[in-house]
Amino acid sequence: MTEQAITDTGVMPTEAEPRHAGEFRRLFASLLRNPGAVIGLVLVVLLLLVAIFAPLIAPYDPMQMGAGKRLMSPTWSHPFGTDEFGRDLFSRVVFGARLTLQIGVIAVSISLVCGLLIGLVGGYAGGWLERLLMRGVDVLFSFTETLIALAAVAVLGPSLTNAMVAVGIATIPFYARVTYGVVLVERSKPYFEAGLAIGAGHPRLIFLYLLPNVIPPLIVVATLGISTAVLAAAALSFLGLGAQPPLPEWGLMLSAGRDFFSRAPWIMIFPGVAIALAVLGFNLLGDGIREALDPRQRKA
Amino acid sequence: MAKYLTQRILAALITIWVTTVAVTLLIHLVPGDPVRIMYAQSQGTTPEQLEEIRHSLGLDRPLYEQYFMFMKRVFQGDLGHTIRGRQPVLDLLLIRLPYTLLLAGTSLLIAAAIGISLGFIAAYKRGTLVDTGCMVGAILGVSIPHFWLGLILLFVFAVKLGWLPVAGDDLRSLVLPAVTLGLTNAAIVARLTRSSMIDIFDQDFVRTARAKGLPKATVLYRHALRAGLIPIVSMLGLQFAYMMGGAIVVENVFAWNGVGRLAIEAIFQRDYPLIQGFILIFACIVVVVSILMDLLYAWLDPRIKYG
Repeated sequence: MTEQAITDTGVMPTEAEPRHAGEFRRLFASLLRNPGAVIGLVLVVLLLLVAIFAPLIAPYDPMQMGAGKRLMSPTWSHPFGTDEFGRDLFSRVVFGARLTLQIGVIAVSISLVCGLLIGLVGGYAGGWLERLLMRGVDVLFSFTETLIALAAVAVLGPSLTNAMVAVGIATIPFYARVTYGVVLVERSKPYFEAGLAIGAGHPRLIFLYLLPNVIPPLIVVATLGISTAVLAAAALSFLGLGAQPPLPEWGLMLSAGRDFFSRAPWIMIFPGVAIALAVLGFNLLGDGIREALDPRQRKA
Repeated sequence: MAKYLTQRILAALITIWVTTVAVTLLIHLVPGDPVRIMYAQSQGTTPEQLEEIRHSLGLDRPLYEQYFMFMKRVFQGDLGHTIRGRQPVLDLLLIRLPYTLLLAGTSLLIAAAIGISLGFIAAYKRGTLVDTGCMVGAILGVSIPHFWLGLILLFVFAVKLGWLPVAGDDLRSLVLPAVTLGLTNAAIVARLTRSSMIDIFDQDFVRTARAKGLPKATVLYRHALRAGLIPIVSMLGLQFAYMMGGAIVVENVFAWNGVGRLAIEAIFQRDYPLIQGFILIFACIVVVVSILMDLLYAWLDPRIKYG
């Protein structure tokens, strides 16, 4: 739901000149001076660690059911309690981190690659191709991502993979617009015109001249985009259109626990907190990177 | 103004035309045989019956012919019949649509009221604890999934406290879904209002008004807020589209009988005529609302004389 935040990266395209290593160190340092960004970084790193070491952290098999252990409230042996099938909720939330990261990364990769190509080609080619591509992006944009994602799931059928593809397709317009905006600015700069004048080929102009300038604002969009993707995919799973049982996907866990939540509120508390923290982490980190890249925020 | 409006309407028509093409193609993008998938749940359909259905849906004709058939029917106000129950799709959607519009509209009002106030206060108290507090609240608001917030509100206010109904179609049942959708979107509105107002506060006309010795309230409301509201209104138009999208999810949490719930049921049942109708209607509403918001924007801002 941070659509506006995503398109308005606030990154001045002019800032995106090719950098050297010192520039990245400076960016990282300014990121660390921002308390919000640090919290975001910590949350994201935590999510990564939990996802990587899930089998070591989780005390139980996330799929293992226990007949006598249904809907147990949190105890030392089951810190988050158990669900309606007697499965350990803590282990399920821990393994859910893997799915969430997977969803975020795959969905964002799809939209990033497609959006980057559309924006680069549209902005570079000009003429009818530019108009066709960018009009198409405008049309997609006006549909809102929920509708596109639903349409994609309606075509492909409900499953986790299809939900990732659906969310990926639905968010292409954000990436295409940002890329296109940067390309338009860069295209009229002297260095690009010089490249044209010395007869640089299309691949050289696109990949060596334009691409490096598109990357910094796209890093911001992609970081914020992971949070959008995680939220959207969790919503699809919650509706039953994404991950299917018995996968320990957080949105699906919330949906499955609905019928029991007046008896066992922990079923809906922990997966929800997990989604919110993951999304918050990527939102804070994305905001932090944007501020670090934004020359207006910089103390000279 | 007339020229701008013509351009906007033209762009809207193109969007709707693309939607009609996409909606016709939708059924052909389904991996496998769409008719078989649609009727997979109704057992005992013979191959002959499937062929008959294929024929009645026009799926055995060339694609362009299908498109013209579809468009001809659309212009006659006929969006076909649902697979299950054979009900007219348009009627079904029109019965449910007011519920979704009511939910999205109420949520938009809640989001605007809370978001604009908090964003304004945060901008005015920039750099203070109040500002930090508002913005921490806003970033939490954009990070909390609305279906989860909905479940928690449902648990607290309907199940535990019993103040509001768990589900239903009356106005009391509207409160929780509208607050759920409104609160998460208020966070976005607050963030944008804050940055818009900060820009305004730094501008010369506000400084001049202050320097003239005008009362603080006059400067804030007559000068700053009026100018700052203009970009916010244009953003609320976009926001409405997202409210409609969010309504689909929230309706399912609260069993609110809008088009969103209908659409999810349709996707589960692979009821393609209903899905097609839903997408078309949804896209039309989003497009019309965005034009209306643009008009409001032009009316609010005396500097704009499009074209």
